[in-house]
Amino acid sequence: MSIMQYNGGSVIAMVGKDCVAIASDLRLGNQSLGISSNFEKIFAMTERTYVGLPGLATDVTTLHEQLRYRLNMYTIKEERTMEPETFIHLVSSTLYEKRWGPYFIEPVLAGMQKTPSGAFRPFVASTDLIGCINFAKDFVVAGTASEKLFGVAEGLWEPDLEPEDLFETISQTLLNAVDRDAYSGWGAVVHVITKDKVVKRTLKGRMD
Amino acid sequence: METIDISRLKSGEVNLGTSIMAVQFRDGVVVGADSRTTTGSYIANRVTDKLTHVHDRIYCCRSGSAADTQAIADYVHYYLQLYTQTHGERPPVHTAASVFERFCYENKDALSAGIIVAGWDKEAGPSVYNIPLGGGLFRQPWAIGGSGSTYVYGYCDATYRDGWGRDETVEFVKNTLALAMSRDGSSGGVIRMCVITEDSVERLFVPGNELPKFWEGKEVLGMPLTKKDGNEPVPMAVEP
Amino acid sequence: MATASAYRSPGFDFSNEIRNNFLSERGVPLPKATSTGTTIVGCLFKDGIVLGADTRATEGPIVADKNCEKIHFITDSIRCCGAGTAADTEFTTAMISSNMELHALSTGRKPRVVTAMTMLKQYLFRHQGQVGAALVLGGVDATGPHLFTIHPHGSTDKLPYVTMGSGSLAAMAVFEAGWRPNMERAEALDLVTTAVSAGIFNDLGSGSNVDACVITASHTEMLRNYVKPNERVQKERSYGFRRGTTAWKSESIRQMVVEEDITFIAPEAMDTS
Repeated sequence: MSIMQYNGGSVIAMVGKDCVAIASDLRLGNQSLGISSNFEKIFAMTERTYVGLPGLATDVTTLHEQLRYRLNMYTIKEERTMEPETFIHLVSSTLYEKRWGPYFIEPVLAGMQKTPSGAFRPFVASTDLIGCINFAKDFVVAGTASEKLFGVAEGLWEPDLEPEDLFETISQTLLNAVDRDAYSGWGAVVHVITKDKVVKRTLKGRMD
Repeated sequence: METIDISRLKSGEVNLGTSIMAVQFRDGVVVGADSRTTTGSYIANRVTDKLTHVHDRIYCCRSGSAADTQAIADYVHYYLQLYTQTHGERPPVHTAASVFERFCYENKDALSAGIIVAGWDKEAGPSVYNIPLGGGLFRQPWAIGGSGSTYVYGYCDATYRDGWGRDETVEFVKNTLALAMSRDGSSGGVIRMCVITEDSVERLFVPGNELPKFWEGKEVLGMPLTKKDGNEPVPMAVEP
Repeated sequence: MATASAYRSPGFDFSNEIRNNFLSERGVPLPKATSTGTTIVGCLFKDGIVLGADTRATEGPIVADKNCEKIHFITDSIRCCGAGTAADTEFTTAMISSNMELHALSTGRKPRVVTAMTMLKQYLFRHQGQVGAALVLGGVDATGPHLFTIHPHGSTDKLPYVTMGSGSLAAMAVFEAGWRPNMERAEALDLVTTAVSAGIFNDLGSGSNVDACVITASHTEMLRNYVKPNERVQKERSYGFRRGTTAWKSESIRQMVVEEDITFIAPEAMDTS
């Protein structure tokens, strides 16, 4: 068994019309033994940048702290918040620095990117465990259910979904994918990010 | 489709399967090589130049790992440029060969490189040095190397004579390499040669369709298993 | 936490090595990184170089990215196609690009293709094939057009037409049949497109679109998604869900400030009494 499957967990992010959504399951396992059903893998890094860190749980915590530290140092030094596109490069270089002894995490990022005119543009991206960035125009997935998520999302995603519709699409994609993954599930959480608010909802899902 | 194991990636090393050769004669040396570079069974380059310039009158023939031998040749090239600047004269071939030898010997665990160094200098005249895999250094009147060389040792022993001139030596190198290339699957392509003398370095090129031809077999399938020419053995007459 | 600065010293960090080696000794295999199965090609023509690449990135049997960029920027007139471990090609070319700019600044000259080639081969040789980058480097400089392949172990070849990656055999077949010296720009671009397409359609590790880049002495033209032979057809119907389909347990809303008006108050005269 791969170390990526040790604790289980999956994350997905999707682009909508002037909004983005990021969702994950809530399971923390020890191989097939379930340990916790409130292990959140999605973290708010800035107001409009959320990052999901599926993979080995010890590295979820370590990498989150590492990213938070580096983000804060940037914020202090530059006296401005970091934009999502900058942040994914920070994630990328943080992971590639450990090219020869990687963190077992495949981060997923969703955020609203500030354009020069002051408006906000939806942005999603992901990286592999050594920091190769995947800029996607539609959706990105990672974690133990990533193969299922790819398939379901490829079928259900459509462009220009309003926030409420995007919530339904991402929720159904996640729920149906993790139901067929033994290592993911035990509840789910969805964040829908628009320019003026972030709606976080915990979903009703199978608990087996 | 290729999946990369991030912990180890040693397969897919680029190799110079190779037939290489250098021969000294009265006024200089002739170096020669085939032109095939392979990754496994794929020919990555069919017109490779394995005769590498390391100084004005010193060349080397490379065999083994392409990456290793290129890195070594680049280093020696740099070293000899530095030597020329500090000494104010051209380096002897022996010096060049010694630098190769030191590099190959000190890093023998990490390298796979079989190199032949040849050239002309004013102290020794023409000379050929062989540096095989472990990093030894041997001066020889002629040297062959690479996977193709095993097929032609006998031919070289039977053919080589002391005191040859330029043209005979070029023919010898050309014929030897053609024989090696025809038997060795890792060698092939074209023949590249260099004639290095006091006055010049002359490059020679033999295209793949103009290689010297030797006996290439004849069709024997469908021929009678016994020959009938009237000289068949007759059963011995036995007294009743 | 390595240093108390936002900016870190360059280079690799080996601090997780002990743990990960322990894991792999215990029989836990290390996971796969994204690799670009890839068809990348380059060819010489009358006025310069044409580079080509497909746009598929794979993670084992999964297509990780359907439209990634494999032609990387080195300098204005030098570009580099990457195959192999995706992160390695990305970071290696970015590092060489930045070193080339510094080199140009310190010498005051336009950098040459051999300089980039030498930097790349020495870097890859130093890492003994562990940095899994297989590259096609092409460009035009003061000494004319140049085209190289660089293998992960650091060996290089200089040829008039080259291919690399898992689709290299399919693409090379096209070049061997169709390449001629002194081709026109349009012919060369056509040939490169055909070669990459051969990889896209016949090699499983390559797919999606054709990227091309034409480099001449005076101009570099990046043709992103030059041909898109695998466009997905419009879905016949919508698979959107009716609002309220998903049952949820709790909701929390975080309101954010979108705009703020800053009113400047007229400065008072300084009290100098």
